[in-house]
Amino acid sequence: MRLPLIVAAACALVFSVSGCTRAPGYPTEEALRPQDQLDFHVLYSQNCSGCHGAKGQNGAAIDLANPEYQALVDDATMKKWIIGGMPGTEMSAFGASAGGMLTDTQINALVAGMRKEWSKPDVFGGQTPPQYAQDKAGDAAHGHAVYMTACASCHQQAKQQITDANYLALVSDQALRSIVIAGRPDIGHPDWRNDVPGKPLSAQDVTDVVTYLDSLRSQAEAK
Amino acid sequence: MRWVKQTYDWLEHRLQLEGPVKDAALHPVPRNTASWWYVFGSAAFTLLFLQIATGILLAIVYVPSAGQAWNSLNILNHQLELGWFLRAMHGWGSNFMVAIVLIHMAQVFMFGAYKFPRELTWILGVFLLLMTLGMAFTGQVLRFDQDAYWGLGIGASIMSRVPVIGGSLVHLLLGGPTIAGATLSRFFALHVFVIPGAMLVFAGLHVWMVLKLGVNEWPMPGRIVKRATYEKEYHDLSHKDGVPFVPVALWKDAVFSGAVIAAVAICAFVFGPYGPGGQPDPTIIQTVPKPDFFFLWIYAALAYLPPALETPFILIVPVIGIAVLLALPFYASEGEKSWHRRPVAVLTLVSVAVGWGVLTHLATYTPWSPHMDAWSSDPVPGKNLHNATPLVREGAVVFQGKQCRNCHSIGGAGGERGPALDAVATRLTRDQLIFKVEFGGGNMPAYGKNLSPPEVEALVSFLETLHPEHEAPATDPSRKEVQDAAAMAGAAPATGAPSGAK
Repeated sequence: MRLPLIVAAACALVFSVSGCTRAPGYPTEEALRPQDQLDFHVLYSQNCSGCHGAKGQNGAAIDLANPEYQALVDDATMKKWIIGGMPGTEMSAFGASAGGMLTDTQINALVAGMRKEWSKPDVFGGQTPPQYAQDKAGDAAHGHAVYMTACASCHQQAKQQITDANYLALVSDQALRSIVIAGRPDIGHPDWRNDVPGKPLSAQDVTDVVTYLDSLRSQAEAK
Repeated sequence: MRWVKQTYDWLEHRLQLEGPVKDAALHPVPRNTASWWYVFGSAAFTLLFLQIATGILLAIVYVPSAGQAWNSLNILNHQLELGWFLRAMHGWGSNFMVAIVLIHMAQVFMFGAYKFPRELTWILGVFLLLMTLGMAFTGQVLRFDQDAYWGLGIGASIMSRVPVIGGSLVHLLLGGPTIAGATLSRFFALHVFVIPGAMLVFAGLHVWMVLKLGVNEWPMPGRIVKRATYEKEYHDLSHKDGVPFVPVALWKDAVFSGAVIAAVAICAFVFGPYGPGGQPDPTIIQTVPKPDFFFLWIYAALAYLPPALETPFILIVPVIGIAVLLALPFYASEGEKSWHRRPVAVLTLVSVAVGWGVLTHLATYTPWSPHMDAWSSDPVPGKNLHNATPLVREGAVVFQGKQCRNCHSIGGAGGERGPALDAVATRLTRDQLIFKVEFGGGNMPAYGKNLSPPEVEALVSFLETLHPEHEAPATDPSRKEVQDAAAMAGAAPATGAPSGAK
């Protein structure tokens, strides 16, 4: 008769000491309506990690965890791409106003979360990067020259072909420009300062090299 | 202590229960029925009372209204001391009850206990099983969350397929044409009054007959049941080689019932209550509703049936199934009880159990349903992007963006509707991949019109990289021959003709 009593006492003790809220079976928080979910990590892992990678890097699409990219893109632009998708790329529209599932509040939470997780102060070390958006026309011929000195050493290898017409058809000029300026540290692509070590590309160089790549597109279409 | 005796005598003088109770407790049962195989019925009976006790406590807090049921469950979970544990006991008690009732039924079937004179005991048992399942379903509805809401919708659409009176049945079930306030009140009345009331009456009669007709003797090969002689043989058996029911047989029942209650409590403590899941709101479409465990097999069977067979299956199979169960004791009321001499019975039970197990297993991971958020949530595994060319990376983006991932998994994540693509390049050549993407085939839809040529090119380049490291991708031998021939043709003039010629 002793044993059951001891077991019962032990159970009661465990119950009272651990507290019922710390029992393994204690229920999780009540389920939210999907549009009330504002936790950045949940939102990111449900909506973004498929293409941009589990922690904002090593995904198929651009690495959002790159602090230079975070510094380059302002909130309004980031929101615009999330809500309506990015024209000329595979980035889809996620905003409810554009047929997606996310409310404005949720998109604000996503942007704020990315800033909090992945922004770093003074990431450009006092230097001013070329503007995010292209502001004047470029020169394809000069762009080709820049390409040959700054890009070709890597991109002429078969494994890194970006002059392929199919590739260029799937990325927008803006997407190319973002990578040229901010780089993709997760796959070893340098930023605009380090394409040629010690000799940062000028704003005009960046515009021209993107113009050159764009000219390859129209050549391919002409064919 | 004299007053205790006096009170007892006063009551006994009026109630006169002592005699019948003593008779019931001390009646002799065949010695080898005092076995651990005979404990499931009493355990089911114990669980019924656990469910009643926990159910009454839940009913004190639960609000059976469509607007407030979900909130009252969350109050139980989070605001009332041990409210969650009470819900968990009731939920796990329900699981155990269905399981124990099924085991009890299988055991009775295997031991031939439904034969003469216990036919009616079996028939009441069949109704008790149906009522237990009815309690499980109505209970799932009272846990008014997304699973309940959509489960109810499926229940209603099953009802609506009954010819002629289908519409009226749905109206009766839901208390109107849609799931609304009246629906929950109706299920509350069913779950709390109608079915439990009927269950108590049926279970009472069931136990009464066990006491009156005696516990089924342990089946022996060759001991044939005959209507004319069985009752005398049983009487002899229980009186010549019998033991009193209390305490020789009952202590095992008591120990097992206690163990089952302890198991329910442990499961409740460790795994916690069921839900409630998301709010029962039909405007929330981000939901993957699933029935509770014991109805998963129906879910799987319906998913795998061709559409033309659904209605006949839904309407005819249950009727046949129940009719067979009810007819069993009349069809086989005499004869062998021992499973050693009843191969058909053994095979039937094994087939039903295996079929049930397989369907339940399938329904736990629903390979027929796409994972609707895989495209945006499951990252492409790093090894598939390591050293990838820019075009292959874009192909991976197309793969995600066009939602291929919802049906096809890579690295174990993604849908299971279509085959996993981790080694697709070893199965299909480049041309076959292009053909499959463009034109579909089998269950796969054609995506030719939804993809631009560069998208197809990128996607196929990505798919071509999906092969294990040690296994080469599939190639088309004719392609190599053409390439070789072209190389030969190209090489010939280079050696034979002057180098300037071009």
